Order: sequence, then structure tokens, then C-alpha cells
Amino acid sequence: MIRKFRFLALLALSALAGVAQADRLDDIRKAGVLRVAAFDSNPPFGFVDPKSKQIVGLDVDYARELASKLGVKLQLVPTNPANRIPLLSANKVDIVLANFTITEERAKQVNFSIPYFASGQQFIAKKGTLKSADQLGSLRIGVDKGTTNEIVLREKYPGATLVAYDDTPFAFTALRNGNVQAITQDGPKLIGLLANVPDKENYEIPPFSISDDLIGAGLPKDETRFTEYVNAFLRELEASGKAQKIYDAWFGPSTKTPLTRIFRIGDK
Amino acid sequence: MLDQLLAPKYVGWLIDGFYVTLAVSALASAAATVLGLLLCLARLAPTRWLAWPALAWLSLFRNTPLLVQLFFWYFGLAALMPQGLLEWLNTPHHWHLAFFGVRWPPFEYVAGFTGLTLFTAAFIAEEFRAGVRGVPPGQAVAARALGLRPWQVWRYVVIPQAFRIALPPLLGQYMNAVKNSSLTMAIGLAELSYASRQVETETFKTFQAFGIATLLYIGTVAVIELAGQWVQRRRPALGAVR
Repeated sequence: MIRKFRFLALLALSALAGVAQADRLDDIRKAGVLRVAAFDSNPPFGFVDPKSKQIVGLDVDYARELASKLGVKLQLVPTNPANRIPLLSANKVDIVLANFTITEERAKQVNFSIPYFASGQQFIAKKGTLKSADQLGSLRIGVDKGTTNEIVLREKYPGATLVAYDDTPFAFTALRNGNVQAITQDGPKLIGLLANVPDKENYEIPPFSISDDLIGAGLPKDETRFTEYVNAFLRELEASGKAQKIYDAWFGPSTKTPLTRIFRIGDK
Repeated sequence: MLDQLLAPKYVGWLIDGFYVTLAVSALASAAATVLGLLLCLARLAPTRWLAWPALAWLSLFRNTPLLVQLFFWYFGLAALMPQGLLEWLNTPHHWHLAFFGVRWPPFEYVAGFTGLTLFTAAFIAEEFRAGVRGVPPGQAVAARALGLRPWQVWRYVVIPQAFRIALPPLLGQYMNAVKNSSLTMAIGLAELSYASRQVETETFKTFQAFGIATLLYIGTVAVIELAGQWVQRRRPALGAVR
């Protein structure tokens, strides 16, 4: 019974794959419009600019570059995290550029481009105290209770003393008081926290991370040609320095959230 | 069935947490008993220079939540301390006394112990005061009439009886200390509740993690209860001086 069911499912899948054979890249060019799913409330990746009322952000800049490379108009479709895959599979958008972490589970349902951004687990410490990951094993480090950050840190650096707090602001207070020598969280979250600290010049986020969440563009499943096109486009963007420029616009030294760029397109 | 059990490593975490719970509540209870007795004596002192500060202490510590007090000792006080002192408190120290080494605990222990001690002392002081009130005033007067000095009246007549009257509620305060020690997880002290939460995070075995913690708490409180009954059975009559 189950085997029969499986066979039917396979049949259905291959039928779907057959439909997908029609080339999306040609469709986009023919329509003259690139439809991109982007976040509208996740700064600085994609959010509504209070002044212009338009969706802007790091992901949106990539979308704009891709549309201009294709020579078509850009149409942004606002999305939340849960809608990203349904929008793609229902053919409502051509590509998802919405801080989309590459996971095995998701890769079963969509194609991923090569990563163009990485948000890793990083640290805040008092300036000059934390230089490299090798030091972590001998430090007292504040973590948020119940996060994967705590688990990753304990696995990779069993020598570190972990002190778990209820949330990141508490952990930061402990760091300021000197109860811990560093605190850990995802890099973009830390930089957001640091942006609101009055004496932020005393702290720094050392430019290394101990784990990587790789962010890629989500494309329709089995659109190999379109996927390769996007990969080539991303590599080109890095080579021309435009990727760096986009990064600097949102995380550069002159922004409110300066975060050293550790990851470059093509690293992984 | 077997995969529903917690791996030995995680049981170990819970046991470690349990030791910390026992240590911090036992130490805090002992210190709070001494401090509570002194507070009670100050509160009952004839001079207002002692009675009023004691009253202020009692209302301050009895009328604010323990969690807020712990935050004060851990986060608040630390912010006021000079940098050097705090660094010293946070780094591990070893002293070698005649036969054994003494290890200075991390600041979480110090702050947790301090908060729990001062809070519990305020309650214990009031239990003692109730005990003193329970000794008929005629006894103190009679003792004075027999020629005992004021301190002897306290030492030999009032305090022994007051202690016996105050014993059941005192044990209740020790049980509270055990349960209240769970609040120190908020300041990062790795006691039993903290450990159970950590185990839950890593294993997703919610029922097992919190279930074992609950049993350990119940067990500890039950042991205090039994100890109290045993002591009372050995010294039955209320106020009877042997």
C-alpha cells in the first residue's frame, strides 16, 4: 500500500518537474519584469523606509542589481519568513531575496544560489580583550538561555565557562559589570544591540565567528539555468566590488550598525 | 522506552545543579539564622538607635521581591563597585590553609548567597520575635528577681524557650530558602532550576528535565520536614525547660 502511494507521489513529482522545464529565465525576459520576494520589516535586510515608504535594504539592493543586469523592471513582493517557500512554489515570485538561510530541509523544496551573506555567531567584548577564537576556551562568556548559541559554544569550546541569562540585554549588563568577559549571539543581533548602548566606544565585535548561517537566494526548484545565471551574477558583483559597496551601505563603518565583513561571495 | 530516559551526562548536570542548590540554601540558612537572631535582638532592644534601623531593614527586605533584590546584588551593586574589586571578585582565587584549600566562588554564588541570606534573615528575625513574644513576660521578671543579670535572662531563660517555640516556623523558612534559591538562576547561578532548563534546551525532554528537578526539590523539603518532626519528638513539651 505504502509502496504504491510512494510510486504515485513520485509520478506526481516527475509530472511537476516536467512543467518546470519551461525556462524561467526566458519567461522573465519575455515578461520584462523580475518578481522578487523581500522582507518588509527586517532591517537592514528588507524594511519599509519611513521617509520614502518604499521597501529598501541589503536584499533589495541585490534585487535591484539583478533586475538591471537582466534588463527588466523590478517588482517587489513583501513577504514574511513563513511565506517564502509558498510564494516560490506557487509561482508568485521568481526569486526570494529575504535573508533566506540555506538549510538541507529547504533545499529539498527550492534551489539555492551560492551564499551572498553569512550571519554567524559572534561576540561582544571590551575593546582589546578578545582577539581570536582560541581565547574562548579560557573565558567566562554570557549566553542567552535556551538558544542554539549556548549549545554551539559548549560543544566547540568545552573549556569556556558559560553563564546563561534570560535575554541579551541582561547578558550585556553582566559584560559591562565584568561578570563575564564576552557575550555571544548572532552578529547582526549583536550589532543592533551595540547601536543602542551609550558607551559603545568601549566595546567591539571581534571580526570572527564560530558558526555560519549562510544566506542565499531562493529559486524555483529545478530551474538550473536560472540558478547558474544568479550564481554568475553574484560572483560578478563581488569581483566588481559592488557587493562590498552594498554591504557598506548597510553595515559599513559610517552606518549605525558597523559590522566588519567576514564573509565574501565565493567563500563557500 | 529507553530513549525516553535522560543520558547520564544530563543527569550529571542535574546532580551538579542539585549540589549547588543544597550548598547555597544551607549556607544561606545558617548565615540567615545568626543574622536573624541579631536582628531580632536589635528589633527588641530598648534603645531606638538599634530598634529603628532593624525595623527599617525588616521592612525593606520583607516587602520587596527576592528577584529584584538578587538583581540588585548582582547587577546593581556590581555597577557601583570600583573596577578592581569586581575583577578580583570575578577571578578564581585559591588559598591554602593548614589542611585544605579554599576556593573563592564566582560572583554569581556570592551575589546569590548574599541576596538569599539577607532576605531569609529578615523573615527568620520575625519568627524569632514571635518566639520571644511567646515566652510569658513573667518569666523574665522572675529571673531578674532571682538575681540573674539581663544578659543571663536572655541567655538562659528567654532565648532557649523562644527558640523552641520558633522552631517549626523556622524550619518553614529553611524550606522557603531551598525553594527561593531557584530564583538565583536569573543571575546565572547554575543551581537545580538552571540545570533543568539547560537540559531541557539540549534534549527537548521537557517532562524528564523538570520532573527530576521537582522530585529533588520535594525530596529536600521532605527531609527538612522529617528532621523537624524528629527534633520536636525529642523535645516535646512547648516551653518545658529541662
